[in-house]
Amino acid sequence: MPRSALALLLPTLAVAAGALGPESSSRALSQARHPLTGVRAPGPAPSWKNTSWLNADRPLTLEALGGRVVLLNFWVFTCGNCTRTVPSLVDFDRKYRERGLTLIGIHTPEFPPYAGEHDRENVARALARYDIEYPNAQDNDAKTWDLYGIRYWPSFVLIDRRGVIRYEGYGEFHLNDGTYQLWDRRIRELLEE
Amino acid sequence: MNGLRAVALALIAATNLAGAACGGAGEPEPEVRLATEAAGTHTRVTLIPAGHVKLNARLKPALELADGSVLRFDSARLTADSAYFAEPPSALLPGRHRRVRGILRASICENDAPVCRALVLEL
Repeated sequence: MPRSALALLLPTLAVAAGALGPESSSRALSQARHPLTGVRAPGPAPSWKNTSWLNADRPLTLEALGGRVVLLNFWVFTCGNCTRTVPSLVDFDRKYRERGLTLIGIHTPEFPPYAGEHDRENVARALARYDIEYPNAQDNDAKTWDLYGIRYWPSFVLIDRRGVIRYEGYGEFHLNDGTYQLWDRRIRELLEE
Repeated sequence: MNGLRAVALALIAATNLAGAACGGAGEPEPEVRLATEAAGTHTRVTLIPAGHVKLNARLKPALELADGSVLRFDSARLTADSAYFAEPPSALLPGRHRRVRGILRASICENDAPVCRALVLEL
């Protein structure tokens, strides 16, 4: 079976195993080069190198955030599943920022630049529209997406105060639903360590 | 069909194309299929999702042609939240074409999956 075929078949198998959701075709091709790419919890969080940031005075680095709990949200403003999850993330930011949580949006476009997702002004408008006050990095080359082995919009990576990835997940959730409560518990757990 | 003659109906397996090529009954339904029909001097290309997926309307599907131009698929009918197409989006391709070539991009969601994913297909 060709490698590409395997890459495309894997999501189906993963769904059948209850381990993963559906796969991104475009990302599947890159995943095929590294079939099990991506950091898996628990493991050291890799350092992102994004240079274009919004809601931040300067580029944030993992090293500079040492001692804080970090929740990365991989999203894009054209993704309804992502934007419907944003109110929950805004809520986490407001509840836990003072207690040591840094929420970071990693804005990774789905389409080439002609779709407008790479445009900083469009991202800024989305942040304003959804009342997002936490820092966001533009990930226009998807390097951080690939670095973390992300496959879906939206996805989440929760990093503890020592810089270790403790939890990962993906998919839309809403204020106070079961998934929201799960992430809320996870954040509180890490904040209390 | 308003006198228009259906020129072609191409079934395109998307992310499961290769899997389907492995053969066998019970293979998953292709996630999208592309239909083309004559529309005057043009060709109307319509992107039809399978029953289990929705097409993201906030990121209009695109067909990148060999000359560098990009056709964007659109439809006037959206879901109430304007997040998805409520009817298959289409685009007009200049000239008559029996077969469409290019790179097709679409953002799709399975009806029960809470994630977006990109579908990229070289035609």
